[in-house]
Amino acid sequence: MPLLEVKNLNLSVLTGNDLLPVVRDVSFRVDENQTLGIVGESGCGKSLTSLAIMGLLGGTPISMTSGSIVFSGQELTSLTNKERRSIMGNQIAMIFQEPMTSLNPVYRVGDQIIESLRKHRQMTKTKAKKRAIELLDLVKIPEPENRVESYPHQLSGGQRQRVMIAMALACDPKLLIADEPTTALDVTVQDEVLALIRDLQQRLGTALILISHDLGVIANTCDYVAVMYRGKIVEAAPTADLFSNVNHPYTHGLLNSIPVIDRDIEWLKAIPGRVPTINEKLAGCAFNPRCNIAENICTTCDPEQITLHDDHYVRCHFAKRGTND
Amino acid sequence: MISNSLLEVRNLHTHFTLGGWLDTKQVIRAVNGITFHINRGEVLSLVGESGCGKSTVGRTLTRLENATSGQVIFDGKDVLQMPASEFRILRRDIQMIFQDPYASLNPRLKIVTTLSEPLFCHKLVRSRSDAREKIADILERVGMDRNDMHRYPHEFSGGQRQRIAIARVMILAPRLVIADEAVSALDVSIQAQVLNLIKKLQQENGMALLFISHDLGVVRHISDRVAVMYQGNIVETGTKHQIFDEPNHSYTKLLLGSIPRIPMGIYS
Amino acid sequence: MIIMQRVLWIFKGRRLALIGLFWLCLVAVVALIAPLLAPFDPFEINPIMRLSEPGIPYLFGTDHFGRDSFSRSVYGARMAIIIGLGSVSVALIVGGVVGMLSAYFNRLGHFLMRVVDVLMAFPALLLALVLMTLLERSVTNTIIVIGIVYATTTARILFGMTLKLKEEVFIDAAKCAGAGHGALLFRHILPNLISPILVQASFIFAFAQLQAAALDFLGLGLPPEIPSWGNMLSEERIYVTRAPWLLIFPGALIILSVFSMNLVGDVLRDKVDPRFKLDIKGI
Ligand SMILES: Nc1ncnc2c1ncn2[C@@H]1O[C@H](COP(=O)(O)OP(=O)(O)OP(=O)(O)O)[C@@H](O)[C@H]1O
Ligand SMILES: Nc1ncnc2c1ncn2[C@@H]1O[C@H](COP(=O)(O)OP(=O)(O)OP(=O)(O)O)[C@@H](O)[C@H]1O
Ligand SMILES: [Mg+2]
Ligand SMILES: [Mg+2]
Repeated sequence: MPLLEVKNLNLSVLTGNDLLPVVRDVSFRVDENQTLGIVGESGCGKSLTSLAIMGLLGGTPISMTSGSIVFSGQELTSLTNKERRSIMGNQIAMIFQEPMTSLNPVYRVGDQIIESLRKHRQMTKTKAKKRAIELLDLVKIPEPENRVESYPHQLSGGQRQRVMIAMALACDPKLLIADEPTTALDVTVQDEVLALIRDLQQRLGTALILISHDLGVIANTCDYVAVMYRGKIVEAAPTADLFSNVNHPYTHGLLNSIPVIDRDIEWLKAIPGRVPTINEKLAGCAFNPRCNIAENICTTCDPEQITLHDDHYVRCHFAKRGTND
Repeated sequence: MISNSLLEVRNLHTHFTLGGWLDTKQVIRAVNGITFHINRGEVLSLVGESGCGKSTVGRTLTRLENATSGQVIFDGKDVLQMPASEFRILRRDIQMIFQDPYASLNPRLKIVTTLSEPLFCHKLVRSRSDAREKIADILERVGMDRNDMHRYPHEFSGGQRQRIAIARVMILAPRLVIADEAVSALDVSIQAQVLNLIKKLQQENGMALLFISHDLGVVRHISDRVAVMYQGNIVETGTKHQIFDEPNHSYTKLLLGSIPRIPMGIYS
Repeated sequence: MIIMQRVLWIFKGRRLALIGLFWLCLVAVVALIAPLLAPFDPFEINPIMRLSEPGIPYLFGTDHFGRDSFSRSVYGARMAIIIGLGSVSVALIVGGVVGMLSAYFNRLGHFLMRVVDVLMAFPALLLALVLMTLLERSVTNTIIVIGIVYATTTARILFGMTLKLKEEVFIDAAKCAGAGHGALLFRHILPNLISPILVQASFIFAFAQLQAAALDFLGLGLPPEIPSWGNMLSEERIYVTRAPWLLIFPGALIILSVFSMNLVGDVLRDKVDPRFKLDIKGI
């Protein structure tokens, strides 16, 4: 039985009087000890998917229109608020994308970690403080004894992000959702933080959902990768399979736009154009205006999901033919 | 050689004090005696560990933080010593692009107001219609529509906002731009677009660029020279090829070794 | 139409507050057209009819001078609005300037905020009493005193919020673009404070009513002949057993208005920018 199974998740946002779909038919599963990577362009619904799992959409104009989210046998969408609170932060933890907005600017970072420890772990104040210092040390913040006293704006961008990571790790969760956890970190610290998470996985069998736009990180940490574009999973496969057997032109474009480290190139091959906003109505495949292999059929007919071989799924009319640019 | 360098930083220190008169005082040496220079029209990248003081260097050069000691010579003038009124004029030549495109635009102001601010502050235009003309021009140069100026920041995506932030900087035609992690909040495909844009504008205008980043792939792509920073100091400087192909310092080697690589052997 | 829709959206699910808002609008309308509504001259003395019971033609009865209590209540609404708007303006302007400047210029802030702290150490009513005894009884002076009293809390709150805004990246960005102090304060900081300022204004409005009534009652507020709800209470209090209606009507008006304004303020506070939720606690 998978630890988390999301089936046909549909999310819509209410703007004015319209209900516009932002996440469509997203399905995936994560097993214990496994890492699922989600990549995709800004605004394609990665964060919303994770917020839906955490049940944090209340109070936003976003609503879940259909779908199911099952966590170790329990349907999360039908939980009462109280049951939900006992799971969230304790069994499921999340590292939020914006460290500056998720940390309260008026409280010292130490106090914020201590607060969460005392709430979920019922620790005494002195014990919680000791643990907080330990955690800051774990995420490689220098002089943690002094740094617990800092306010968020006194930390560098990467340090704030690491404080968020420390808070999420505080309660030894069973499932960790990490939304762009290492975007502000340099590679050496990123390495250490990822090792820390890997260690947690080995110790406790924690499952990890890693949302990132760094394909390098994804390639090195994930067992399974889902590529999202405009609210849909357009390609999903085991990591090695995905990178050796790219089928969707969007995945292709992503890989091409990475600046490579081993040779010099004059201009990067960016995917032209931008992600259409949710208000724009598009017929056919959502990627067609930016696609280099689009043909007539792409502008009229939205491709169904095709199974290429076991566990490799793709939504493209030309999937089997592959792409050669 | 001196005449060729646009910016010279000599033994710059920026320290922060934590704790007040009740707690014990705690001095953080964010920037601890760094020396480097940037030539005219050159791209120098500043890389290093998170928290090693990269942003503080940028913020000190633009006087958003007060330097503790040291000298910053821009085009022969000492930036840190000059009175604030004089520095306000010089700001036109030293501009900064911030990391977070969501935080760097005032949410209450239309794009046109944000973009006219530098024009009016530096008296580069005489009238509002003059300003609009310039703004439309610069928006088109950064790949946006001229009518976008009548919209608010929340109507744009991260990549578009970063373009607007770049437009705000480029509209002054500065001689030095400090880009603090200007593309790290963007996703790969947009990042590539924005990087190409920065590079294009840099080449067209011949401005110098101090590119602060922790993404070595990006750094290799954009820079002429690279300075590696470690715990408040610069430990190694060199041309791009020296740093990437023959790194000397152990931290540089560690940095290069930790880059997560996509198994390019499989994917081609 | 659009404004109506927005108001309805803000007050969705808050029926009591909507009733409060309706009441406040009613008071405002009454205040505007007071001369049309009042059947008698509120100042006209008619000793023969003194202390008549509510009925026709004296809807709320008459006071011990024989003045029509209903007409005085209607003009009292006018006073309530004038005092409310006046004190809100004084409090926001004085408090806003002090709070924002203190946060913006550190040195000045050290000094100004200590003064504010000292003033805040006094209970609001006591401070108002002390100031009023130094001044003559008049509408302007009452407004100034109440405004000053609430300027202290306003200054504190705006101080905190401005400090927070000062750390925002867009402020740094504006500095780099060449913005001076004036532009930073008025173009970049102030517009971001508008919604919390509105919330603060609604609370001050409510508390100014109470404060003014208390001052009137103690004989230190508005001159006695001016028809205000507080004065009506104050003047007729000795007739509480013989003519209780003389106290019940103005008392109810004060309570209703204060309560309504507080309800509206609560709703506005819930809708305000989440960054500032912690700062605004009412007064
Ligand atoms: N509170 C909200 N109100 C209205 N629309 C929203 C809200 N939050 C998100 N959206 C919209 O939903 C879409 C998906 O947003 P989401 O935050 O999931 O993107 P993302 O994939 O996480 O992008 P990024 O990589 O930039 O974090 C976007 O188009 C966004 O504009
Ligand atoms: N206002 C401040 N008060 C106290 N300490 C500060 C302040 N700003 C920065 N620091 C400290 O100075 C050091 C350098 O910070 P800086 O922001 O320059 O790092 P950075 O190299 O930009 O890191 P990152 O890559 O994570 O953004 C850090 O240890 C940080 O905590
Ligand atoms: Mg996101
Ligand atoms: Mg930084």
